[in-house]
Amino acid sequence: MNRIPLASVARFVVIAILVVFAGFPVYWMASTALNVSSQLYNTGQVPWPQLGNLPGLIHELGQVPLLRWLVNAGVIAAGTSVLSLLLGSVMGYALSRFRFHGRGAIGFLLFMTQVIPEALIVVPLYAMFIVLGLLNSLEGLVLANVGFSMPVTAFILKNAMDAVPHEIEESALIDNCPRIGILTMVILPLIAPSVAAAAVIGFFAGWNEFLFAVTFLGDPKLWPTSVGLASFIGQYEVPLSAVMGSALVFSLPAIVFFLLVQRRIVAGLTAGAVKG
Amino acid sequence: MPHIEFRKVAKSFGHNTVIGGFDASVEDGEFLVLLGPSGCGKSTLLRMIAGLTEISGGSLLFDGHVANDWTPHQRGVAFVFQSYALYPHMTVRGNIAFPLVMDRFRKWHHIPVVNAIQRWRAMRDPELAASVERIARQLELEPLLDRRPASLSGGQRQRVALARSLVRNPSLYLLDEPLSNLDAKLRTQMRSEISTLHREVGKTFIYVTHDQVEAMTMATRIIVMNHGEIQQVDTPDGIYDQPANTFVARFVGAPPMNLIPVRLAEGSRLEVGASLAWTHAGPLPAAPAAILGVRPEKLRLFSGTGGMIAAQVIVIERLGAETVVGCRLDDRPAGDHGLNTDDLVFVRIAGHPGLHHGDACSLSYAVEDAAWFDSASGRRLEAGPVRHNPVA
Repeated sequence: MNRIPLASVARFVVIAILVVFAGFPVYWMASTALNVSSQLYNTGQVPWPQLGNLPGLIHELGQVPLLRWLVNAGVIAAGTSVLSLLLGSVMGYALSRFRFHGRGAIGFLLFMTQVIPEALIVVPLYAMFIVLGLLNSLEGLVLANVGFSMPVTAFILKNAMDAVPHEIEESALIDNCPRIGILTMVILPLIAPSVAAAAVIGFFAGWNEFLFAVTFLGDPKLWPTSVGLASFIGQYEVPLSAVMGSALVFSLPAIVFFLLVQRRIVAGLTAGAVKG
Repeated sequence: MPHIEFRKVAKSFGHNTVIGGFDASVEDGEFLVLLGPSGCGKSTLLRMIAGLTEISGGSLLFDGHVANDWTPHQRGVAFVFQSYALYPHMTVRGNIAFPLVMDRFRKWHHIPVVNAIQRWRAMRDPELAASVERIARQLELEPLLDRRPASLSGGQRQRVALARSLVRNPSLYLLDEPLSNLDAKLRTQMRSEISTLHREVGKTFIYVTHDQVEAMTMATRIIVMNHGEIQQVDTPDGIYDQPANTFVARFVGAPPMNLIPVRLAEGSRLEVGASLAWTHAGPLPAAPAAILGVRPEKLRLFSGTGGMIAAQVIVIERLGAETVVGCRLDDRPAGDHGLNTDDLVFVRIAGHPGLHHGDACSLSYAVEDAAWFDSASGRRLEAGPVRHNPVA
């Protein structure tokens, strides 16, 4: 009879615990969403989903412009991701391939952008956005988000580009390919996993962002889901089941997006860790 | 085909001068090999010809025009890298077609997304496809056209790299140690393939290597380099038979040329150390001391005292068809049996000599096979007429 090795059992137990830890918030979100709000406040939450409350939940979510919020969040996330990739790939390429004065200083400044808290610059940014006419616009919010996500993107792509042999690039130069062509047709396809990882980081930076969105977007039609969810909080009551229902819907596109690029991300985050 | 000329071409990295004042010219259609040890500046020179490395001083002329600032494409060269430098994400077909596709691109075609569409369109062009197929057929790559480089062997990858350089029909081929990543058998095969290719295309090839066998078997002319300076420019036979200095004499040939420092004494006597002397009945240089050079295959080995120079067998290397015997000249005090092989005189013999370690032997050579070098500078000396008088 085959005996199951102890190490396999231990591994299974550890993975199971991790899955429970990661998955429980999502389950609790779903479970709360399917409880009636009054029940939540009176008798407490039933730990398992009350599927009978599903039509009520759907009706409740129909009362808020959830689709518009999702579309706005999608536009902001996609814009942040794409613009971060465009600017970050060019900057990463310059930092990886060219030696110039101030290269180290630029690297340091990029790092500094990650140290400064968003709350610290929200007021100066607000003043700038008034001058530039970017208040109450999704484009302006995308620009603000890019300011934070692009340095991360640039660093990820720079590190990946460092691992691409120079000969491949020189070979493309000999083949009459200009620098922009080398970047888009040779380098970026070679570091596709890192590009995917950077895209995800940019996407989530835009998708989850709240502080800039709640500050710069006064028009409810432009709200993304993160601001929309916060608007549920009333003076006397918070409709918890609706909040959780909306949060669940808000999470789903992000989870789907992550699952789609997950394999590439894992390769990207471990790229260069071993000699290939 | 461009006529290439170097005029005092120099390259420095900071304060480190890699090449200082290189003067040479490349003839149309020749197979020129830049030969030298690692770090001698030969690859840097090749990269300067290609436009991949900036020239610090002097002029590089293409057909009489200073090309120092020309882009790699303006020079119309093909470059085969040591590491092949294939595009891993493209198929063999995509790799070979890439230079042709780039030639068809306009500036705005390089915009992301547009470039993908334009590349797809270019790849569907029957003329381009025919060019790729023709080159693939020439290099026997047809069955591999739809595979990616990762699934190819080293030799196949090198052929793809060659095909990519051939497809544009450039006027000048630059090859930077293209065979050094291959195993010995494949290297031999690729050597003859590249030589055949050179004959077929009839263009100028400049080939960088540190492997003297590659240089001797493929080149029509060799430039031997050391420390960024030209040591000798000659045909392979000229380099082997008439080395310009002791560096070339030792660098070319395996085993290298034997160099024996001698004193020139009365009556054409050559003296080595305290106790060894023999008569050299041939032309001698006009110097009190010099370095005698004899190729291993030009030495004759005697198992007794039949030769001119008394010696002792120290090393025997059996190579199958031939044997290389390392001998120590009998110029040492009794009891000194140092094993430094740099001091040995090597003899190359067909078959097996029937000698053993420690056997007494003697060596002889024909005087016309002797080369002479200056003791101080190492430069080749011309031997004068046969002398019978003491050296002044």
